[in-house]
Amino acid sequence: MSFQQRNITVSLVTFILILGFYLFRISQLLQSDDFTSTNVFRLWGVIIVLSIVATIVLTILAHVGSAIFEVIKTGNENPKIEDIEDERDKLIDLKGTQVTYIASSLGVLTAMLTFVIGQPPLVMFSLLVFFGVLAQIIGDISRLMLYRRGF
Amino acid sequence: MSKSHISNNIRKLRFFNGEMTQQQLAEKAGVTRQTIIAMEQDKYSPSLELAFRIARIFNVPLEEVFSYETAEDGK
Repeated sequence: MSFQQRNITVSLVTFILILGFYLFRISQLLQSDDFTSTNVFRLWGVIIVLSIVATIVLTILAHVGSAIFEVIKTGNENPKIEDIEDERDKLIDLKGTQVTYIASSLGVLTAMLTFVIGQPPLVMFSLLVFFGVLAQIIGDISRLMLYRRGF
Repeated sequence: MSKSHISNNIRKLRFFNGEMTQQQLAEKAGVTRQTIIAMEQDKYSPSLELAFRIARIFNVPLEEVFSYETAEDGK
């Protein structure tokens, strides 16, 4: 597994955990009748901050982990980690971003439709975050598939 | 438009060039080893620039490294 694939896997696991946390918190709010705008927008903030911090921290940890893994594997104290991004990596990233945007757009459309059929605005805002994180997950999966399957 | 396929002789050319490793070729071409592996397995068609760089590394014309076929050619 290349360095780029490892980074994408880390991102995928991070966003799956964030989505799990988000759904857990939303279900808690719904069960306790605390599904108010204050709580939902607070959760929005938590999710955004969590996404940024977790991505940075886990990317650093993945880099350190890769170095340790290479030292153990090769026995070389100064391992060479192939972290350069070439044309194939850039192309896969672009295709993945395209998939993310398509999934995100469909998600926004679905969220807006709930508003059209008479659901409260909070449902729409909750779905916007849900589909935003889900789109990131779908994008990461498509990137990993392109690395494995080729194109 | 019929489906096209670009195949290559990179593996063979590496062998005839002093058994050059994938890592050595990757370093000379300025790409990662994974990209060389993907090309050898026909899982990635390189850009024109990279194709020319690889041909120049082996000191052969582009057509000797890459070949282009369409579904119609196979009929």
